Amino acid sequence: MTAKKDSLRTRVKSWCVCLVAALFLASYGWASERPARLPVEEFALPNGMKFLMLQRPELSTVSAGWVAKVGSANERPGLTGIAHFFEHMMFKGTKTLGTRDPVRDAQIIEEQEALQEKIRAEYAGQRERYRLGEIGDPFDPADRPPALIELEARFVKLVEEQRQLMVKDEFDRIYRMAGATGLNATTNQDSTIYFVTVPANKLELWFWMESERLRDPVFREFYSERDVVQEERRLRIESTPTGRYEEQLNALFWTSHPYKWDTIGWMSDLKTLTLAEARAFFETYYAPGNLTAALVGNFDPKRVRELAERYFGRLPASQRPVPDVVTLEEQQLAEKRMHAVCDCPSQLRVLYHAVPFRHRDRYVFDVIAALLSGSTGRLRQRIVLEQKLGVGAAAAQDAQRWAGSFSVYAEAQEGIPLESLEAAVLGELERLKTEPVSERELQKVKNQLVAASLRNLENPFFLNFQLLIYEGMGSWRHLEEWPERTLAVTADDIQRVAARYFIPENRTVARYERRQGGVNAAQGSVQ
Amino acid sequence: MLGVVGLSLWLGSEVSAGASRPSAAAPAIPSRPEQLQFLPLEFQVPERAKFRYELPGGVIVYVVPDRALPLVKIQAVFRTGAFRERPGEEGTARLVARLMRNGGAGALDPKAFDEEVDFLAARMSVFDSDTAVIASLDTLTAVLPQAMDLFVAMLREPRFDEERLVQEKRILLEELRQRGDDAEEIAQREFRRLLYGEDSYLTRELTASDLERIDRQRLVDFHRRTFGRSGTILAVSGDVEPKEVLETLKRKLDGFEALEAPPWPPVGSEQRPRPAVYYLEKDIPQGKALLGHLGVQWQDFGDPEIYALMIMNDILGGGGFTSRLMRRIRSDEGLAYRVVSMMAIQPFWRGMFLVIFDSKSATVARATQIVLEEIGRLQREVPSQEEVALVQQALIDSFPRRFDSPAQMARLFAEDERIGRPLDFWNRYRERIRAVTPEAVREVAKKYLDPDQLVWLFVGRFSDIAAGDGRVNLDQIRGSQPIVPLPPRDPLTLRPK
Repeated sequence: MTAKKDSLRTRVKSWCVCLVAALFLASYGWASERPARLPVEEFALPNGMKFLMLQRPELSTVSAGWVAKVGSANERPGLTGIAHFFEHMMFKGTKTLGTRDPVRDAQIIEEQEALQEKIRAEYAGQRERYRLGEIGDPFDPADRPPALIELEARFVKLVEEQRQLMVKDEFDRIYRMAGATGLNATTNQDSTIYFVTVPANKLELWFWMESERLRDPVFREFYSERDVVQEERRLRIESTPTGRYEEQLNALFWTSHPYKWDTIGWMSDLKTLTLAEARAFFETYYAPGNLTAALVGNFDPKRVRELAERYFGRLPASQRPVPDVVTLEEQQLAEKRMHAVCDCPSQLRVLYHAVPFRHRDRYVFDVIAALLSGSTGRLRQRIVLEQKLGVGAAAAQDAQRWAGSFSVYAEAQEGIPLESLEAAVLGELERLKTEPVSERELQKVKNQLVAASLRNLENPFFLNFQLLIYEGMGSWRHLEEWPERTLAVTADDIQRVAARYFIPENRTVARYERRQGGVNAAQGSVQ
Repeated sequence: MLGVVGLSLWLGSEVSAGASRPSAAAPAIPSRPEQLQFLPLEFQVPERAKFRYELPGGVIVYVVPDRALPLVKIQAVFRTGAFRERPGEEGTARLVARLMRNGGAGALDPKAFDEEVDFLAARMSVFDSDTAVIASLDTLTAVLPQAMDLFVAMLREPRFDEERLVQEKRILLEELRQRGDDAEEIAQREFRRLLYGEDSYLTRELTASDLERIDRQRLVDFHRRTFGRSGTILAVSGDVEPKEVLETLKRKLDGFEALEAPPWPPVGSEQRPRPAVYYLEKDIPQGKALLGHLGVQWQDFGDPEIYALMIMNDILGGGGFTSRLMRRIRSDEGLAYRVVSMMAIQPFWRGMFLVIFDSKSATVARATQIVLEEIGRLQREVPSQEEVALVQQALIDSFPRRFDSPAQMARLFAEDERIGRPLDFWNRYRERIRAVTPEAVREVAKKYLDPDQLVWLFVGRFSDIAAGDGRVNLDQIRGSQPIVPLPPRDPLTLRPK
């Protein structure tokens, strides 16, 4: 059925030239007199800690947070998962918060460590037995020698003693009682972000609490929290239909780069993280010069400066530079492939190495992803609706701090071989090299991207989060640069980038095939 | 926005009135956060009635203007959904919702409609649930008239394109096929069925034969029968002027009538759950555990027991790290990452009381034991004044945040209208929370929690779950509850294999 021309279409067409211009101007129209910049005020303390402020006087709250520019990319084998695990430890309190007897609490922690040293030596022995084939799993409690059982029992006693002194989760309690909501944190490969929303009149509480836990953290309940993180890994990765395959695909995609492992870490590393490692991690990466704080909401910026100086000014500047991630991803020489049989939908993933965060080509990749994705995107229109080879498909870029990737995902139609789906997806990518995108299609995509950038400004918590995550990746200014740079992308740019990056040597392909006759599979096929 | 919310807030010296600030040196940082002094936040609850408008034909509209960004959101809540399906029509509401968005509208075929929406950078969706179908529009002000035209066409004149219907069925069939993959999805589905039965619209899910049976005429009939102005509620927020937008809506919805008036209120299932220890085998290293029973229906919105129940649930497992289950199961013993309790107070039927957690197979029994202990404790012991006060203060001091977002506020008011909350509900909320006593918390725990009525559901490697970790096993804690294996369901038919 062809679409009939109607008045609606004509009206839309006449807008198309004006729309983007209007959107662009409107997008920063906090007031029409303002320049096209986000009204973010910045300042830094002498110790290097940076602050960003964006006022929203109509709110009754302040969404506040800070980012430590450290993530799982800063880890190494043996220590994977520590950045995320450390995030958990930041909620365990300080000398003042979390215990009734800080002196005895500190002593118990040292006694626990002494025991853990011995326990670690036992587990080294377990790993040796595992390598020799004597046991199947070095961590299986059933295979523990008596010495280990005894040490762990003594450890449990110390935990129980410590618990008597503890004021449980005092950090959370204090915030909650003050009417704060959304206290949480998140770690990714590049950064660790801590955030909360407080009632506007409780602003000083945020300064008190956050500066306190940076100044004087105590990593109590380290070993029970290690168990919690293992459960988190089981929940997110090991108990979902595709979690483990995704993890291995990622490890396949990256040859040398520390993006290779999931932020949650390998299980064998999680089981052996030590308190000393956590402390060293903190010293290295949580110095004020490596932190940026951001506030969005109802506050007086003069007051924020004053509080920042008073509270966070206490943090001593670090003498040591923060280590960079120096390992570059080795240039890929050959296509990589993976084929999994799973209790999951049959699906395809195609990944390419792309560019980092503010690289000039990242804007082109964003436009390419938008051309391919969405309800009228090429993948759905051609592969799902016209050719009926799949039931869903999308593309996305992940331009991270140190490196980037571009991926296409497609879910198969039962009965259609994955070869056909793969051929169709690669065909769409080839088209981008050879056929210039039409003006209308490019306009459509740019409209969507600019509208999305506007929508990203609505929610104050999300706005604050974006400031922090982009700071963690390189600069919050990405938020205000992005629309303009995206609008500048041309049809030529798209062809150039497609030709350069969408080549077999740069590609990793994964096919997941649903296991036939699996317990979850349908009996018989239906058509 | 300032006028709308009625917020008055003094910013300035953080020291309380009466204490003088040292002129040169900065004030000392108190050694504990309790010593900080804050000025009070005077918050006036927005008057729902002030945002409420009635249009001809029985439409109620809430308009919450916000000129900060050039964006407009409109949500239309229709009193239809699965509960309006007649026997033999199962799945129709789902397909109607999908095809309203994807099947073209007015003069535009599906592809042309989708292209227009995307070109305008508008977002449109239709979402169905058991007792509501919600159609949403999110657009830039610059193209509001065009976007509204498309939106209203979608509501009033969906084409239910035949070819697109075939496509959607094909896509949906794949979605159905995946229903046996994810343990979380399986657990939630099975648990609802155990509580509400298999035959209620609350639990019934689309099957392959439903899909086969549904044709275009069905969709047209269902839409004509149940979509119209009467009983419909709109939530409008953003860059709009109330009079203008109301005038436009009145004009555009003129003559939009359903054949049938919505039978209201909807009625839930009569099923009585059978308490037992149910399990479904799945090869995952973590066991998912769900324990619960039927809870409470919200009939009198001022009922003090309801507020006591909210606080009770927060103390048990709803309050995050300050709750007892979180503290013991996650924080003390490291047995789980997620552990939460819910006491859903449904307006039209008894909601669910549910505790849910995930733990490695060997420690599911131990964590379950703790859940039972804490339920028992709540029933036996009056919680401390402090514990109750913490929750009260948290709920009261975070209350203003509910009204910070105009879009959220408009949607909140629309939901209030739909479920029949009185106009002064939010005005009285805080005082009702404040009025709850520790004794009242224990009373509602005794009255509404019943360990013997608990339905237990485990999804995972059951023999490992049952065996426990050496400290405790399942047999030791289940009392006289029988163990009932649940066969896996064929994902297309949802019938046991």
